Amino acid sequence: MSDIYIICVEDEPHVLDVVLRDLSSLEEVFPIELAHSADEARQLISEIKEEGNKIGLAICDHIMPGDKGVDLMIEMQKESFTQDTRKVLLTGQAGLEETIQAVNNAKLNRYISKPWKPKELLDVAIDELTTYVIEHEKELLPFMSVLDQERLQEAIRSKGYV
Amino acid sequence: MPGKRKKVTDKIKPYIGLSLGVLGFLIPHFFHFDGLSFAGHIALGIFLMSAVFWMFEAIPIYSTSMLVIFFQITLLSQQGLIYSDAVLPALQPEQKSENTWQVPAAAMDDSKVYILKDEINYKPLQVKVLEEGDNVVFVSADIQPDTKLVADTQHKLVGYKPVSFSVFFGTLASPIIILFLGGFMLAGASVKYNLDKNLTSVLLKPFGQKPMYIILGLMLVTATLSAFMSNTATTAMMMTVAIPIAMQVSKEDKFRIMLALSIPIAANIGGMATPIGTPPNAIVIANLNQQGISIAFGTWVSIMLPLVIVLLLLAWGSMRMIYPPTLEAFKLTLKGSFDKSGKAVILYVIFVITVLLWFTEAQHGVPSSMIAFLPIMGLTVTSVMKQDDIRSLPWEVLWLVAGGIALGISMENTGLAMWLVSSINWDTFPQLLLLLVFGGVALMLSNFLSNTVTATLLIPLAVSMGTSGIAGEGFSLIITSLVIGSACNMAMLLPISTPPNAIAMSTGFIKTPDMVKVGLIIGLVGIVAALVLSQIYWPFIIN
Repeated sequence: MSDIYIICVEDEPHVLDVVLRDLSSLEEVFPIELAHSADEARQLISEIKEEGNKIGLAICDHIMPGDKGVDLMIEMQKESFTQDTRKVLLTGQAGLEETIQAVNNAKLNRYISKPWKPKELLDVAIDELTTYVIEHEKELLPFMSVLDQERLQEAIRSKGYV
Repeated sequence: MPGKRKKVTDKIKPYIGLSLGVLGFLIPHFFHFDGLSFAGHIALGIFLMSAVFWMFEAIPIYSTSMLVIFFQITLLSQQGLIYSDAVLPALQPEQKSENTWQVPAAAMDDSKVYILKDEINYKPLQVKVLEEGDNVVFVSADIQPDTKLVADTQHKLVGYKPVSFSVFFGTLASPIIILFLGGFMLAGASVKYNLDKNLTSVLLKPFGQKPMYIILGLMLVTATLSAFMSNTATTAMMMTVAIPIAMQVSKEDKFRIMLALSIPIAANIGGMATPIGTPPNAIVIANLNQQGISIAFGTWVSIMLPLVIVLLLLAWGSMRMIYPPTLEAFKLTLKGSFDKSGKAVILYVIFVITVLLWFTEAQHGVPSSMIAFLPIMGLTVTSVMKQDDIRSLPWEVLWLVAGGIALGISMENTGLAMWLVSSINWDTFPQLLLLLVFGGVALMLSNFLSNTVTATLLIPLAVSMGTSGIAGEGFSLIITSLVIGSACNMAMLLPISTPPNAIAMSTGFIKTPDMVKVGLIIGLVGIVAALVLSQIYWPFIIN
């Protein structure tokens, strides 16, 4: 089975640390990869693609040197490999215009404003990854230990077989 | 990287399977096997091909079933390519003296000639051979100057009377398939209206919070549900109950292993309990039906229930020894409230009536497959099951079983099954040893093949031993078929043995050796238990 990755794109190292800490309980099932810029993220995405793995969740800061987070997400939305990846924008400084763009063109799934409460990010990640695996994975039991058990249980029962 | 290498073999495997299957199909067309009819050769080709395809899963197992039926209608049916205008070649024997006749050697089969009745029917006649050679001279008082004989005893119509193609198609609507369809409808509606989930929470409550009782409760509930639902669906559902419990212990705790193992084991075993529990039961019943033997729903349950209970307790006991639990008590949070909408109530009523009628077949005499049409009709007429729900039923399982039944028909009526078993001198075997051989072979095969496929390949052999009498005194067709059927369901050694095992592996809580340990105990003790019951208990129920 191929792995489902979580990628985090954020230029400030201490914020990345916090993200990593908040999501640590997911790491045994969903490997987490970090990128410090949009360019690094592109390289990371192509590496994950080459190894035959998938990206279930992308958490992305907006204000970064180089390409902005929203632009990266729009790009990911256009690529078939990352189209279904759940996309979370994590930022304190995106303006209304950019946010609208992110929602309309990048099919942004969630918006988290900085600073966030520790559990908030984890809950969002669990919720989004649960949606991702229900839509894309055949075997859901391996995810029951870290994701939303109730939703997975419903999905497993309703997946049709009698 | 070991992972990569595995992927390569996975890629090659279907091609090996495909080529071996095609080879198996062709072999009987290039080699002649003595004692096997022309049609038997065709059936052997289909048999070898389907066995290989089923083993390698070169194509999905249900499509192999469809392929079997395709070859049967094209090659073995009365309307097919080979038999549509087939006519037996006629021959007038040459009279030598009053009761002495001469025919070409091709018209003589050992010391039998075949008297032609019409274009496709003949009657064998035992004669006394005087002279052999290119022409055979024989003595018989039953031959008149105008008697016509079959000129070629190797002709394709000798040893096989072609059946209509509709016989092969008809397997998909055979009573046992309709019985299964009725079961699918009930199970599908139960999942739709959460009856399975709610029953689980009600049934599990009395088992409290002690680890070993939770396991026992899970196993009993799983087995009960899987007696009516598919083993796979039951396992998937019960796993979602077990995993939250497993999360309460540390990752190293062996209790997790026991939880994840107990459910597929109970689901596999529970499938034995009713005719609709699992497809191998269908193969057993369908093959017996063709011999004019019918087993009532309630009779099946009373035959199998003791075995099911013994195996469940055995599995529970041995897991308790291998993985003693460490924690004292568990939280069991099960939410469930029964759906009280009108449609759900209709489902409950139809469910209860159907099951009651199934269990009282002996009293009212209406066959269980006729009763099965009650939920099929009732749940659709009342819109409890809508178009989408009907579409989501596992139709491929019905095709798989239908193909299995169809293959069995051809193995019997072409003489293939008889030819396969007649190479061994069975009547020197004590009956118990014979059962052990059949059970052991079924158990071994079934650990690697689908349970249904194993039953499909083996039951026709048992049937032909029963009908031909080569098995010797005391052979019971029913008991042998039941032993094979239950052995197929006891195979749970490996993750690939059954779909429930594969589901359990996907949780990541267990490793293959855990499964092998418990699976081995169940398989070995299970066979012995089945043999013991087959001697001291089953005969009383059947008679």
